[in-house]
Amino acid sequence: MRVVTRRRFGWPDLLFGGFLIVAAAGTLVATRNLVGGTAADMGPAYMPRAIALVLLAFGVFFAVRGVLRGPVGIETVQLRPILGVGAAVGVFALLIESGGLALASFAAILIAAVASRESRFFEVILFGLGVTAAAVLLFVKALALPVSIWPW
Amino acid sequence: MELFDNLLLGLSTALQLNNLIYCLIGVVIGTAIGVLPGIGPIPTVALLLPFTFGLAPASALIMLAGIFYGAQYGGSTTAILVNVPGETSSVVTCLDGHEMAKRGRAGPALAIAAISSFFAGTVATVVIAVLSLPLAALALKFTAVEYFSLLVLGLFAAVILAHGSVAKSLAMVFLGLLIGTVGIDVNSGVARMTFGIPALSDGLDFVPVAMGMFGLAEIIANLERPAVRQVVSQKLRDLIPSRADLRAAFPAMVRGTVIGSALGVLPGGGAALPPFTAYALEKKVAKDPSRFGKGAIEGVAGPEAANNAGAQTSFIPLLTLGIPANALMALMIGALMMQGIQPGPQVMTEQPELVWGVIASMWTGNLMLLVINLPLVGLWVSMLKIPYRLLFPAIVLFCCIGTYGISNSAFNVWLMLGCAVVGYFFIKVGVEPAPLLLGLVLGPQLEENFRRAMQLSDGDPSVFVTRPISAVLLLVVAVMLLAMLSPAVLKTRERALAE
Amino acid sequence: MSLRLLKAAAAALTLCAFAPAMAPGPAAAQSFDRPVRIVVPFAPGGTSDILARLIAPKLSEAVGQPVVVENKPGAAGNIGADAVAKARPDGHTLLLMDIGSLAIAPSLFSDLSYNVENDLAPVGMVMFGPYVLAVNPSVPAKNVAELVAYAKANPGKLAVANSGVGALNHITAVALARDLGIDWKNVPYKGGAAASRAVVSGESTVIINGATATLPFVTNGQLVGIAVTGDERLAALPNVETFKEAKLPLNDAGTWQGLLTSGKTPPEVVAKLNAELNKILAMPDIQAKIAEQGGSVRPGTPDAVKTWLTTNIKSWGDIVRAADIKTN
Repeated sequence: MRVVTRRRFGWPDLLFGGFLIVAAAGTLVATRNLVGGTAADMGPAYMPRAIALVLLAFGVFFAVRGVLRGPVGIETVQLRPILGVGAAVGVFALLIESGGLALASFAAILIAAVASRESRFFEVILFGLGVTAAAVLLFVKALALPVSIWPW
Repeated sequence: MELFDNLLLGLSTALQLNNLIYCLIGVVIGTAIGVLPGIGPIPTVALLLPFTFGLAPASALIMLAGIFYGAQYGGSTTAILVNVPGETSSVVTCLDGHEMAKRGRAGPALAIAAISSFFAGTVATVVIAVLSLPLAALALKFTAVEYFSLLVLGLFAAVILAHGSVAKSLAMVFLGLLIGTVGIDVNSGVARMTFGIPALSDGLDFVPVAMGMFGLAEIIANLERPAVRQVVSQKLRDLIPSRADLRAAFPAMVRGTVIGSALGVLPGGGAALPPFTAYALEKKVAKDPSRFGKGAIEGVAGPEAANNAGAQTSFIPLLTLGIPANALMALMIGALMMQGIQPGPQVMTEQPELVWGVIASMWTGNLMLLVINLPLVGLWVSMLKIPYRLLFPAIVLFCCIGTYGISNSAFNVWLMLGCAVVGYFFIKVGVEPAPLLLGLVLGPQLEENFRRAMQLSDGDPSVFVTRPISAVLLLVVAVMLLAMLSPAVLKTRERALAE
Repeated sequence: MSLRLLKAAAAALTLCAFAPAMAPGPAAAQSFDRPVRIVVPFAPGGTSDILARLIAPKLSEAVGQPVVVENKPGAAGNIGADAVAKARPDGHTLLLMDIGSLAIAPSLFSDLSYNVENDLAPVGMVMFGPYVLAVNPSVPAKNVAELVAYAKANPGKLAVANSGVGALNHITAVALARDLGIDWKNVPYKGGAAASRAVVSGESTVIINGATATLPFVTNGQLVGIAVTGDERLAALPNVETFKEAKLPLNDAGTWQGLLTSGKTPPEVVAKLNAELNKILAMPDIQAKIAEQGGSVRPGTPDAVKTWLTTNIKSWGDIVRAADIKTN
């Protein structure tokens, strides 16, 4: 387990604080055209803005704490798991409506397997076929999920 | 001894062979769909609705009710084994249940979940039989004002949910509240932060957010570590809870049942509040709160009991007032009407064998679930023998299909992907996603009820303290706040804040 | 692989239950060569959903293909309607919904992604369910005259619960207030069930909602029936006058459930679907089930629905614009 410790910041706090600041700022921008109102007669933007201001305060608090207190590193981000799982879910979302459940399922299993270094090629193919068949039987045949099985 | 007569009448209906069979079908289907992440009882009940037209009203309702509480049993299985919460209620089960599984105690976790559910189900059946009328009257006293105060209390309790830093979990509650405001604002009808995406107009669905942040994010994080060979013992002694386990879990079960029975009657918050509140309470009363989040058995028993008791008492408004407490109860009303029965308070007097039959069937159904689930524990645990390299792609796929099935839209799958990335980020920076999910569920109701209360009182905030129930709830919040700020506690809080 | 075994067992079990719906009917019509979808743009359990599930097996027999009900909820029904509007125009994708909300949509949503009149082709009307106007017993009014008098004496005191901003019963309440010159609060809820509950508990005081949902409370005395829409009084409430008798506007307000398909569908396919729909609506068992939903079947031609839509888009639009109800 390698740990990065660049400079002497408290990275977890700094990053979390930054995340909150971005979320708060995004909210303030997204609700700029909505009516705010008062506490007794709230408009649609009142709550989001109020919450965003609280988050902004939290964000600044964590960010400052992160800068002042360190060094704390975070575990190295490995690209393979997140890209593999992410791509599997994304490909499923792209294929499910146009390509049908069978294709989307098989593709998702195959791509997800790439996320792990331990996957074995033929095992994954066989397993993928089995799980795909099970998914089609279970979701389309038994649970009547309204989705087509094949691309055609 | 009217109650006794009623229960006997109910049992005579519920114990008829055909009703026992429909009950069994219901709980088996319920368990099966509960195990599948994302596929909830609502679409299944809708799907089965047309097939109930041919049945007697009691049989139809017994089967549909069985699906509902059967799904509550099944949901905890997935939460414990693979950390995927398929429903609002199983998020809390993930916290300690999955930790137990990681420590090789999946068997006791599953068994305690089943036993707690059975215990709560049994007690809740009696509660429905004895207290349904007063509880229904209490539910009607909950207007927007009381609801707001209750939600404040619930969110406040959420801070206790946090494992580590109080500041971080507070921030996460607020983040949850924030993303809960996405969508069309109920009070003004205006779309907020939907970025022109129609799929966002009804807000973020809970299931994709929960499955992304818990299930998928955890998978991504797991894959970064070298695989640990799971030690799966099939010895009976390791599958069943020890006497110490039971002794620790029993008081939690009782407390959870009480909380669940009371909160389940209230409309709306029913599914989310009971398990979260029960968990917070267990952590509060525990001698050593630090065990929570590391596989504390009370953290499974309490919420599971609360969840099941709440699921059952949510039938009270339906049976006594004809008012559905949630979407599923609305479906049940549809089923009743299809049978030519107008739901409402008169059903209790005009069709006593139907009402009491359904109530009694809940007990027989819970017994069946216990009998089905306890032997299954061994089977489920042996599932963990599947190498992780094969298990995780299957979990990813089932999460995808389940999320897609919620509203048959690919949008939710994309949303789950986004939440997985954010959840992974949270793991990296060391914050817990559970408080965020509570904020997401309760936030919209908090705002909706506050604004409705203000609209109805013409902008006069004093209603929150002049109405008795609301005043009591807010007083509890104030007492908790004072207790937190008292000098002795202040010290530990400071340590927690510094963390 | 015990997980899969169990799932297969569950699958087999459920499969038995669903077998009747899956079996293709006899006499396959030539124009239907793959499964037909009925899109319901709301979550399961509502009137549209239950109607669709009633009709689906009968339609399946008629067209010789499986008919599946697909819930596509979201954005007040617009997500589902949009999906049907953009589907392949061959009559295999149908939309079943309250066409009143369809008629309001163009005036309510300035950025609607489909055109109600051009992108959707009506197949036929399915049912009409009247509205019941009812009040909490704490309101000292037993009929329309008393209610109007009370509302005029106490401006802003009555609170009308509706199922959401821009919902039909919201706009009906707004139009009533305008015509009668009264002032009441419009309180939005998430759906009709929540609104009913609020009026039963006394949080709000007035409700205008479908007969199915409201009748039980009125017959039980939890609510007081004031008036009903539709041409006749309800059999269950013989003493409650109709809107027309009480000289109220909007006698036609209520839920109008209609079946539609995508706009460019060839007329002969629409005609075939319309003929089958009307045959189904003539079946006694279907009529009985629809009556239990508090409505009555309304068989008719596609053109009749088209005219209905055009008229109502205009009339609702006038009300929405006059009241300045906006959602974005």
